[in-house]
Amino acid sequence: MGVMRISHINIRVLDMEASLKHYVNVIGMKVVHTDAAGSVYLKCWDEWDKYSVVLTEADVAGIINVGYKVENNADLDEFKQRITDYGTAVEDIAEGALPFVGRALKFSIPSGHVMYLYADKEYVGTDVGTINPEPWPDGLVGAGVHWLDHALLMSEFDIDKGINRVEDNTKFMIDVLDFYLVEQILVGPEGDQQLATWLSVSNTPHDIAFVGGPINGLHHLAFFMDSWDDVLKAADVMGKNKVKIDVTPQRHGVTRGYTIYFFDPSGNRNETFGGLGYLAQRDRPVTTWTEDQIGSGIFYHTGVLNEAFTTVYT
Amino acid sequence: MNVVRDENQSFVVTIEDTGESFSCQSRQHVLSAMSRMGKKGIPSGCHGGGCGVCKIQINDGAYETKKMSRAHISATEEASGCVLACRVFPRSDLSLCVIGKLQKNILKKTDKPL
Repeated sequence: MGVMRISHINIRVLDMEASLKHYVNVIGMKVVHTDAAGSVYLKCWDEWDKYSVVLTEADVAGIINVGYKVENNADLDEFKQRITDYGTAVEDIAEGALPFVGRALKFSIPSGHVMYLYADKEYVGTDVGTINPEPWPDGLVGAGVHWLDHALLMSEFDIDKGINRVEDNTKFMIDVLDFYLVEQILVGPEGDQQLATWLSVSNTPHDIAFVGGPINGLHHLAFFMDSWDDVLKAADVMGKNKVKIDVTPQRHGVTRGYTIYFFDPSGNRNETFGGLGYLAQRDRPVTTWTEDQIGSGIFYHTGVLNEAFTTVYT
Repeated sequence: MNVVRDENQSFVVTIEDTGESFSCQSRQHVLSAMSRMGKKGIPSGCHGGGCGVCKIQINDGAYETKKMSRAHISATEEASGCVLACRVFPRSDLSLCVIGKLQKNILKKTDKPL
């Protein structure tokens, strides 16, 4: 029983043609479907479900919704009850309303971000299959990322007004959806305000994360890569394709991951996240970063929080 | 002003606030040309028309634009030359002033500055 992992993210793009060049040629995903409204569905080679990223053309950028996959359909009944008991409105979504997806629950987390839970999504298999598989398929394009790894959502944070949606979201994810806290940044006069949190529901250092900002939005969506070498090669691919890089290959203090922050052609921040960092466990003690060490927490080598981290988002 | 379509044609972009100027080819957006010259007069964000930090007012010159987020630039603003520097491609020399700014760190109001 329970949530297993991030299963999709639906984002808005300003220019579909430019976006497809990015997610196909740079990220290395494949287009698997285009729906009647023109939204395009893409999949990474190491994912076995039908799709993970959905691009919808719009006149603004940012996130539309994010979906997490649960283990069994019966889990949806349990979660529906828990979400309702928490005082949050939840909607039943019929099978097929999300393409290739079974019955789903739709609700908003405290920041207002729309989230789906579902158990079934059409199985298509990875590009190497399940019988005596090769370690990776031939013909990988661009960075050739393995899978959609996590999303970091900007959540409204204003200490003076007593608003901290990072904290509210974190509590919701833990109390209602059984995520557990892995790392956090604590700030404020008393050092007790969660400015950012990283939560897991599996054994990866984060399946979702929240960071405080002036509004609710999208900080980034991240794709998994094996190694530091892969991250370096991904940066080469970005250089070749004139992708706007926000932060060149670097280690995160938080999660210990190998990272590149960069932007898609509509300004949605992407990350290639390499290495597992460590094996997150429910009984692993929570790591805390203090306000004076935020820079090292985010960008470990420079120890400097670039201006864009909390100010540039969609 | 002389308006041409040669994509390698270079124009001079002047930031009125700081007085600095740089050259920008017609196939380059203004923000990219500025950043590549190591200049910082216009706040630099996503370079994709999505985040809105590079908002400028073009006071003189001809240019073309690509689609930019309506969360940051209304159709009225766009029509009056208020645009995102990362979506502006010069078709003549340009003169502009900066409107956008990177918001100061959200912790600025707490007792302990970062």
